[in-house]
Amino acid sequence: MIEVQNISKRFGRKQVLKEVSFTANKGEITCLIGINGVGKTTTLKAIMNLTPINSGKIFIDQEVIQKDTYEKITFIPDANIMPTWMTIREACDFMKDYYKNWNQQRADDLMRFFKLNETDRITELSKGNTAKVNLMLGLSLDVDYVLMDEPFSGIDIFSREQIAEVVTSHLIEDRGVVITTHEINDIEHLIDKVVLLDNGVVLKEFTTEEVRLTEGKSVMDVMREVYQP
Amino acid sequence: MNVTFNTRDPVYVQVVRYFKEQIAIGNLKAGEEIPSRRELAEMLKINPNSAQRAYKEMEEEGLIHTERNFPSRITMDENILSSVREELIAEAVDAFVQSIVAINPSIEEVVELVKKKYEARKQGETT
Repeated sequence: MIEVQNISKRFGRKQVLKEVSFTANKGEITCLIGINGVGKTTTLKAIMNLTPINSGKIFIDQEVIQKDTYEKITFIPDANIMPTWMTIREACDFMKDYYKNWNQQRADDLMRFFKLNETDRITELSKGNTAKVNLMLGLSLDVDYVLMDEPFSGIDIFSREQIAEVVTSHLIEDRGVVITTHEINDIEHLIDKVVLLDNGVVLKEFTTEEVRLTEGKSVMDVMREVYQP
Repeated sequence: MNVTFNTRDPVYVQVVRYFKEQIAIGNLKAGEEIPSRRELAEMLKINPNSAQRAYKEMEEEGLIHTERNFPSRITMDENILSSVREELIAEAVDAFVQSIVAINPSIEEVVELVKKKYEARKQGETT
């Protein structure tokens, strides 16, 4: 389980996160929702310790994040991070050399699933395929937790569907997934848990099946209540 | 397998209902093997935990059985299977009665109209 406890972060005078707390379980898909600039990406980067926090604590399986815990977790940013002259194959080889928990079998499975051609150069890829390569590279690491930053933004509907599908497929196994998004429509049925953020504050945290069962509300209904009082 | 899910009922409840409908119309038969939870999640594009919860619910209701290390199967208990059909019919009639009572027509008028519409519908299906 990832436990985020009262984390706060300032950039200069701007307070981006204020006492943010939530948990994300292994084997579940947790969705951080909020319009742009509410601190979703900062939260993910804080979990990875890419952005040091001013206060608060983060635990991965009860342990404070440190060098060993990094190997349990991967962060998939919303933009390509590989040199663009590389082919997809070369990007995989690069990852294999760099990370000891690289899983080539899964990379091959994901390339097949996404219908990616390994001799294509990253620079020549469409936006949708760039996003898929990004996910393929991140998901091919043997880790327990995957943090995906805006995997659905700015790409076509069919690519979004494919990405949504991979999130619930056997290719994810029992990992814990944390997704940030401002678009819920494609994934309402796929997620276990929702954390609604606004202005660096958690407004609400709930499990989707419970809110449907006990209140008869969709995720969208709850979002409307919370964001448009 | 193609199901459209609404967003306000729990997904697992909708999955259970889908299985009951398939049993009621005879698409799923006694003892028939059903997909694993993961396979079902992939087929229906739903969260595997919802699929898991649907199977747990169906196991508790005696609709399916799972033996260790074997695929789950539809129950062989004919009583349970026929009660599923009755349950679905009763549910649909309840919903209908609830909405028609609000308009307060006579029962004869309603039954007459139901007959007419039902037959027209059936005829439409066969032609």
